[in-house]
Amino acid sequence: MNLPKIDISALPDLNTLTGLFGSLAYPLQAQKSDDTLLILMVFVYDTIKP
Amino acid sequence: MKIRPELQALRSNDAPQRHAQRHLKSQIEAWRVAAPIGLAEAELSQLAGGALLEDLPLLDALFTSGDPSAGQFVGAFMSRLCAGLAEEPLGLVPLRHFTDDALSSLMLARSGFTTLSLQAFDGVGMARHPLPATATFTPCHSWEHVLAGSAKAELIHCRQAYPDRADLEAEPIILRPGMILTRSNSDTALSLGRFDGCMVTVRLQCRRTNGEVAREYRLEDGLLVHQAAGTPRESRLELTAALLGRMGRADAAPLLSAMAQELGDVGLRWQSMRECLVLDSEEGFRTLCTIAQSPADPLFGPAVALRAQLLETHPQLAEVELCPA
Repeated sequence: MNLPKIDISALPDLNTLTGLFGSLAYPLQAQKSDDTLLILMVFVYDTIKP
Repeated sequence: MKIRPELQALRSNDAPQRHAQRHLKSQIEAWRVAAPIGLAEAELSQLAGGALLEDLPLLDALFTSGDPSAGQFVGAFMSRLCAGLAEEPLGLVPLRHFTDDALSSLMLARSGFTTLSLQAFDGVGMARHPLPATATFTPCHSWEHVLAGSAKAELIHCRQAYPDRADLEAEPIILRPGMILTRSNSDTALSLGRFDGCMVTVRLQCRRTNGEVAREYRLEDGLLVHQAAGTPRESRLELTAALLGRMGRADAAPLLSAMAQELGDVGLRWQSMRECLVLDSEEGFRTLCTIAQSPADPLFGPAVALRAQLLETHPQLAEVELCPA
């Protein structure tokens, strides 16, 4: 079979896109009643070399 | 810019900072043993595994109205932490935390995507921000115990969700000390209004990892303004699929095919299939056909449309469709 090479731009997205975890239109409001921020949070201070 | 001498000194010698961190860490460790946080984390893990809250003695006591456990639990923690910070004011609290002018949040314990955290809402700080214009519904269940302060709020119920909007209904409530608010966040959101002083709550939140997404609707008319992956795992896998595609890793096509056919986040499945089609059109088209033959699959409609589009553009793909895998 001589199959085609398909370009990603020729393949449509779904009508409603799903954003990355934690992405919201009004994130500052959402964090008040949600643990999204806690799950995203990381420490940096103890991994930075002096 | 004014830099205080004790901060200036840290630029050339960070030993005091390291000492402060060790001190705060030892205070937190002592609290973890006494609390005991090991048991709390074990119960968080059981809750994530499907156990009922009433079967988990430590957590259940924290979220029983009138039970002094929550006050004692948080009080013991704050005593240790405040004593540690009084001795080492430049120390950083060695727990996940966040603060701005309206909300301070501190994670006390965690197991996977199940968290136990402490919140302080500042009414004055919140009044500086506009009232919420949207409500977000996330795939999790939460229990919240008001320890101190009170606030006017609204429970926003999602009565019916459609692909692009939802029927929302607001129920005014007043949060008071001792109150336990239990809700499924996927159909009930909490929207805080205006209030005086500070409200402190302890919150238990158990996030589902079944591919459901977080949806954000406009309060005014219920329009869907955004949706996002329900857990970081789905986002990580989607980024991984995109990276494999850009790297031209044709050997990953069978894996992407399997991901596209798994139950779960339809966004992740669709992106996996797109990348699979690019890397290996035979494997990808066979996957697409499988989905397009399953009317119960939420991707059935888009898969049928894409199959028709590809067959029109590349008629030779019909051979793949006819060829058994």
